[in-house]
Amino acid sequence: MKVKLYNSLMEAQMNRRNMLKGAASATAIAAVGGVGSAITTRPAWASSDLRAAMLKIPGVGKGSPSDADWQKVGAMTLGPTKEVVKEGEFAGVELTFMGLNNQNLHNFLFRGFLKPWEKYTGAKINWVDLAQADYNARLQQSIATQTVDFDIIEMGAPFEGDVTGRGLASEMPDWVKSVIDMDDYVDYLKAPVGTWGGKTYRVSIDGDCHNFNYRTDYFSDAGFAAAWKAEGHKGEWEVPTTWQKVQEVTKFLKGKKDPLSGLAAHGYLDPLKGWGGFGFYFLASRATAYAKHPDDPAWLFNPEDMSPRVNNAAWVRAIQDVLDVLDAQPTDQINADPGTTGFQQFLAGTGSMLSWWGDIGSNAKTSDTSVVGDVTGFSILPGSDDVWNHKEGKWETLASGPNYAPNMAYIGWGVYVMARVDSDSKKHKAAWSAAAHLGGKDISLWAAAYPSGFQPYRNSHFNIPEWVGAGYDEAFIKDYLASEADSYNHPNAAIEPRIPGIFQYYSVAEDELAKIYAGQYKSAQEGADAIAAAWDKITDQIGRESQTKLYKSSLGI
Amino acid sequence: MSTQADLLHVVTSDHITPRRAAFGRFLVWGSAGLFGLSVLWQVLFEFDVTAFGFDNWRPVLYAYVFWAICLCVSQVIIRGEQGKRALFVLPAVLFVVSMVVFPLLFGLSISFSDWNLASLDGRKFNGFDNFRQMWADPFYWNALKNMVYYTLAISVEYAIAFGLALLLNSQIRGQKFFRVAFLMPLMLSPVAVSWMVGKSMLEVRFGPLARLARWIGWENPSFFGTAEFARATIMIMDAWTFIPFMMIMILAGLQAIPKEVQEAAIVDGASPWQSFWQVTFPLMLPISITAILIRIIFKLKLADIIINVTSGGPGGATDSVTSFIFREYRDRSNVGYGTLLAMVYLVLIVVAITIFMKLVDRWMNPRY
Repeated sequence: MKVKLYNSLMEAQMNRRNMLKGAASATAIAAVGGVGSAITTRPAWASSDLRAAMLKIPGVGKGSPSDADWQKVGAMTLGPTKEVVKEGEFAGVELTFMGLNNQNLHNFLFRGFLKPWEKYTGAKINWVDLAQADYNARLQQSIATQTVDFDIIEMGAPFEGDVTGRGLASEMPDWVKSVIDMDDYVDYLKAPVGTWGGKTYRVSIDGDCHNFNYRTDYFSDAGFAAAWKAEGHKGEWEVPTTWQKVQEVTKFLKGKKDPLSGLAAHGYLDPLKGWGGFGFYFLASRATAYAKHPDDPAWLFNPEDMSPRVNNAAWVRAIQDVLDVLDAQPTDQINADPGTTGFQQFLAGTGSMLSWWGDIGSNAKTSDTSVVGDVTGFSILPGSDDVWNHKEGKWETLASGPNYAPNMAYIGWGVYVMARVDSDSKKHKAAWSAAAHLGGKDISLWAAAYPSGFQPYRNSHFNIPEWVGAGYDEAFIKDYLASEADSYNHPNAAIEPRIPGIFQYYSVAEDELAKIYAGQYKSAQEGADAIAAAWDKITDQIGRESQTKLYKSSLGI
Repeated sequence: MSTQADLLHVVTSDHITPRRAAFGRFLVWGSAGLFGLSVLWQVLFEFDVTAFGFDNWRPVLYAYVFWAICLCVSQVIIRGEQGKRALFVLPAVLFVVSMVVFPLLFGLSISFSDWNLASLDGRKFNGFDNFRQMWADPFYWNALKNMVYYTLAISVEYAIAFGLALLLNSQIRGQKFFRVAFLMPLMLSPVAVSWMVGKSMLEVRFGPLARLARWIGWENPSFFGTAEFARATIMIMDAWTFIPFMMIMILAGLQAIPKEVQEAAIVDGASPWQSFWQVTFPLMLPISITAILIRIIFKLKLADIIINVTSGGPGGATDSVTSFIFREYRDRSNVGYGTLLAMVYLVLIVVAITIFMKLVDRWMNPRY
């Protein structure tokens, strides 16, 4: 269901259940595809009670879910599997699954989710757990040395060029498309994401974007409001909606006290330490509003020749912004990676503004370590009063107001089956069945609602009453889901190129950024030039011609 | 075979017939030919010169193992008792060749190639390009410079280890307890040290050491905030782990010193300092040099604590050569360049250790 359509139905005071019960709803559902379309293997209304019951495991505010909870959810969502797989059909089949073990999530959840599946089908799964920082290297080595030793992989869309482009993945059978209801995906996750050469390979389990997380208690604090006026700042004391304001607020908060903890107050949190390439996304989140012009799909490289844009005026301004608020960051921030800013700082009550994936929202109220569940608000990433027009080489102020460009960082995790199972039909079906179970419509809702490492990515995930039924505060969840939906559906979203070796670019940029933040370059421009030079070197090494071709294709040029 | 001048005490007298010797030679040369052919065939297949070949190099490995077995067997067939003696060494030699020499040569061939795992073109020979890149790479030189600092810190570690060893060698209460207690950090994995100490105890908001620092008046404790502080903290964590290693070696040395020499010094009226400096310390030099040498080798491999705690930051201040190579290899899949950096580092280590040992040798055995 389209978010817009859903919202309009909500405005008409029609809840989902009533809508589905109503005769007229059948037409509406058929019109939008998804939940009730002909290819769906089971009627959606049959699972609405199940979804409500599933979302009460363990219940929001009742602590972090455990392995027992994951297994319960896995068992409750076996319905679609049972429709296509007979009990014990995969007896004797062994599959190897490679994925992450971040924050004891990802593979840990998959284990629990798949245990009832293993019991029902008779298959056995062996696990390869990888730390986030080790993931890229392990995958690249397997690809390059032709030692793919896993049957199923949890992988991000940026690697599709490396894996599907080399014919290493198995094409998705049509029955899987029906089981997982692909029409329900938000638009930006539909083809070409997940496809290569017209073939579909990916079961989406996540939809990634960076949203803007802020502390509501900071921006409703009367003391801060009075001080804001007293210090002569323009406008009201409110949540910043542009990076210019974020900078101003961050500098303003220096030296003040946090309303929750009484410790030092901080504004926007920048991760200044690398994170195996993933840290670069956080500079990108600052830069997209400056660098992604609505009339230009490119923002990282020039599509004509892959020459980097990372040293243009927009990116240099983003780097300079970080440098300008270094002294307003928490102590030792130079040693804080994104994991620290998200989980050890923001969720633990340090700092008031943060760009991160949706994990902050799904953890704020459900994680044992979060203290900010009641004081967290969300929006899309801030915009900018002006935007860099790279083609014209000048800053522009848009007639429509500030330029917004949400960063679709990583495009979400997916489950892919490797081509090595294709020669064995039983194994092939087992692998795809396991992938389909993990990417199922109901199980994904639970994963979006609780700490999992995954955020909402289906239109059906934006059904607020379901979240409220799980125990979420309505205002909180509306705010959170709106920040996600508005990012996904934004017309000027900055979508990452799916080109081989993309993390090499990010990794080398992290090394140079560390030097920039440590003051080893004379200026942000000099540091950005060093990143650009390193990127050019990588492009030449991987092959400029093929990279340019793939980059253009990923931009839809 | 003459048994008259046999100093190796051959107990049997072999009568090797020409046919037997010829069979032995056939065995070794035949298997070698098979091995050589399989290598040649696979190389030609890899370079698309021939249309047929193996899916992978495993059959070539089997041919190598077959040749190795034939070589061993042929020693006995051709040389009898003497050949049996060769069997005591030959398998080990073949093993070393397979596991050390061959990988080293293979590594060398990789280091002179352009091999980025993301490149669809695969590996390409690029001569000295990687070396030229290294020469102009500020990250590598920065890491080398840091290694000099890290290595110099061993002198302080040595002094502390010596002090602790002297303490444990003296008649103190709870001597056994302290020996075990002081040894415990060595039993910890550096990765555990990174997380327990670097990430938890030194955490600036809640870490107990940060709290202690605030309690004693350091308002905003930061253990990794500046280049110097971060480097010093890494050095301290690494030292905490490995000082016990040096201490235990020195302690063993101290316990092996003849008591009579020290007692004679005391009888001759030497003060405790003179007794240490002019008797104990010189006697301890050989063991000290060994401990320092092993410690240098450990130190040159320093990476795990850095990777986990600082990722080489801030701004490369704590980067070690190994942690830099690790990033080049792991995050950037730059196998060719990463291997060259490792090879150059290996050569530097071999040269530096050789010079160090020569200097120590001259110092300890002066030639007048």
